[in-house]
Amino acid sequence: MDNRVMRRLIPFVAAAAAVAITTAFIDLIVGRAQIANISMLYLVAVLIVAVAFGRVAAIVASILAFVTFDWFFVPPTHQLVVADAEELFSLALFLITAVVTGTLAARERARAQEAEHREHDAKVLYEAAFLMAEPNLERALVAVAEHFRAALDLDAVSIEANADILPHPAIAARDDAARADLRATGSELRLMDPAGPSRTIRLVGPTTARAGRRARLVPIVAAGVRVGRLTVLPQAGAPEFGPAEERVFAIAAAQLGLTIERARFRQDATESEVLRRSDDLKTELLHAVSHELRTPLASILASAGSLRQRDVDWTERERDEFATAIQDEAVRLDRLVGSLLDLSRIENGTLVPHKAWHDVGALVEDVAGRMRPVTAGHPVRLDVPEDLPPIELDYVEIQQVLSNLVENAAKFSPAGSEIGISVGRDDSNVRFAVRDHGPGISPGDSERVFEPFVRLARAGQGPRGVGLGLAIAKRLVEAHAGTIWVDRGVSDGTRIVFTLPGRAGVV
Amino acid sequence: MERASFSRSRGGPVSSNAVRDEPSGARLLVVDDEPSMVRTLRTNLRGHGFQVETAETAGDALASYERRQPDLIVLDLNLPDGDGFEVVRRIREQSGTPIIVLSARGGETDKVNALDLGADDYMTKPFGIDELLARIRVALRHVARPGTGAEPRITSGALVIDLERREVTVAGRAIHLTPTEYDLLKVFVTNPNKVLTDRMLLQQVWGPDYGDESHYLHVYVARLRRKIESDPQDPAYLVTEPGVGYRFRSEEL
Repeated sequence: MDNRVMRRLIPFVAAAAAVAITTAFIDLIVGRAQIANISMLYLVAVLIVAVAFGRVAAIVASILAFVTFDWFFVPPTHQLVVADAEELFSLALFLITAVVTGTLAARERARAQEAEHREHDAKVLYEAAFLMAEPNLERALVAVAEHFRAALDLDAVSIEANADILPHPAIAARDDAARADLRATGSELRLMDPAGPSRTIRLVGPTTARAGRRARLVPIVAAGVRVGRLTVLPQAGAPEFGPAEERVFAIAAAQLGLTIERARFRQDATESEVLRRSDDLKTELLHAVSHELRTPLASILASAGSLRQRDVDWTERERDEFATAIQDEAVRLDRLVGSLLDLSRIENGTLVPHKAWHDVGALVEDVAGRMRPVTAGHPVRLDVPEDLPPIELDYVEIQQVLSNLVENAAKFSPAGSEIGISVGRDDSNVRFAVRDHGPGISPGDSERVFEPFVRLARAGQGPRGVGLGLAIAKRLVEAHAGTIWVDRGVSDGTRIVFTLPGRAGVV
Repeated sequence: MERASFSRSRGGPVSSNAVRDEPSGARLLVVDDEPSMVRTLRTNLRGHGFQVETAETAGDALASYERRQPDLIVLDLNLPDGDGFEVVRRIREQSGTPIIVLSARGGETDKVNALDLGADDYMTKPFGIDELLARIRVALRHVARPGTGAEPRITSGALVIDLERREVTVAGRAIHLTPTEYDLLKVFVTNPNKVLTDRMLLQQVWGPDYGDESHYLHVYVARLRRKIESDPQDPAYLVTEPGVGYRFRSEEL
């Protein structure tokens, strides 16, 4: 027999059983003498039925008790006729009392049951709210879906949101069949009216098991905009959702709306934080660049202004001095602008190394020679073994890397201190190192120094340089599939090392 | 105090060698860590008859100051071995030698700090060399002939301040000033053409407990301008140094 029909019959069966048992009890034990007490016993039976099975059972029991009482105990017995008017009155009184008290008891029972349900629902929603606090939206929603599925004894639950915030729907299913059935509800958020109510759809499917199943679709709305969908697949054959379940789904959807909204805010905040940081970086860059541009400009303007002064007859040597200053500083400006362009080209990825096979020793000696004006005042020691293999590299770029390192070494170490440039084999790689005896780089800064515009305050020394040398070097080395780092194993000064990959098997 | 002999009349056919033979020019100390800037300033200032010492670090600057006792210091705030502020502070502990501070644009806080420490003037890099020369002359003249209350009457264009009688006239017309307005004007006229920071003015007029109440100062400067300037919107005497303070522009110089 159908489950639902069974459930409908229960109150009637219970009422009949209660009345039968009471009648038998009275017949056997109490006897027929005390009619007033008999009616009280039936009343007890009606109350028990009311509390246990509700209002319908209470009314059915009242009527059955009334008839049975009349039939068995009110003279003349075994017929429904009542002889005595007084008996009729007490019988009627019994019926009214039974119906009224039975209904009241049943209502109390219903209230108690509802309170219990509400408590359960509140607990389910409360626990869901806890799960939603998880900062990762996808993990939070999967946990929430599973929580609802288990707590409400459903076959499957899915939570969908717009793809930009939740790429995959969060799904909890009892088994693979349930998961497949849930999938059959479709995932078209479009199907739902943003402001519309939740609705039930009937699944259609190839299997008879699926055909006819119902799923409940609840829109998730935040701030008047639909942001997702909650799909609930009850167990096959479960009764339709009542208002209590609908209320739970509505509250859950509202909670989910807030959670999704919060995740979106967080995402926006993260994006704006990234933008703000890059803005800060650009502001920093502008400050650094404008300061670096002004320093040579100040010399150029002062020298040009001097040349234009008519109140002094400058000697040939003096004029030459001003002109030299203008030229030197203009060259410096040009170098700075060039570095900035290099960096922006490298950052854009438009700088592609033009690699060819080169002799590493010659390259290092070339750099040392070219950097002689910069390293004047420092003895330069070259350590270049004879048997170095040729390396495939972009000559100009690696020359630039070495030059930047040597320039830094000269700039940041006291006059007269030695600068070392060395090359050596390192497994299949070739390792370059530039060493100075300046103030060194603290371990905490050894990563930062390769970022653009990071200039270290060195032992009371103000920031100098535009802070691009190491940033450019790092990018160029990495464009050669090499690595560059600050060697911490030196007792004083700075040793910057970079490696370039050699040809495997040859080196 | 040695008087600066910086002037060769504009357009006058004075040979530069005539000046170079005369080593009596004021002794200047130029401190900057940019070698080309130091070279340019040294050549130019020598050409204008000054004796020039140079230093590229704060340490050198202080050593040179001790050794040569210059008449004026041109100081870049951004030095490799310690900041220029320290140089200002150390020199001010010993003397009132005029200090003109050089700093990159945008460093208003630096300028104010340096002026509060006792620097006399500032120039923003990049600057015009003629402007620097003018500022050097003003600072040297100020030292050569300090006007702090020594003269009973100070005249600048149409503005006359009688310090003995506490009377102020503009173009012969008596101006009524409140005691605070008068005190403020007095600080200005006794420091002609010198940059005064908000803090310095507040402390001299209101007292040593003041320093951050710039709004008081702005109100009083605005009142003074209404009383003594012919066009308070475009002041001729009380000139604002943006982000730093004020300067009393004296037509005398």
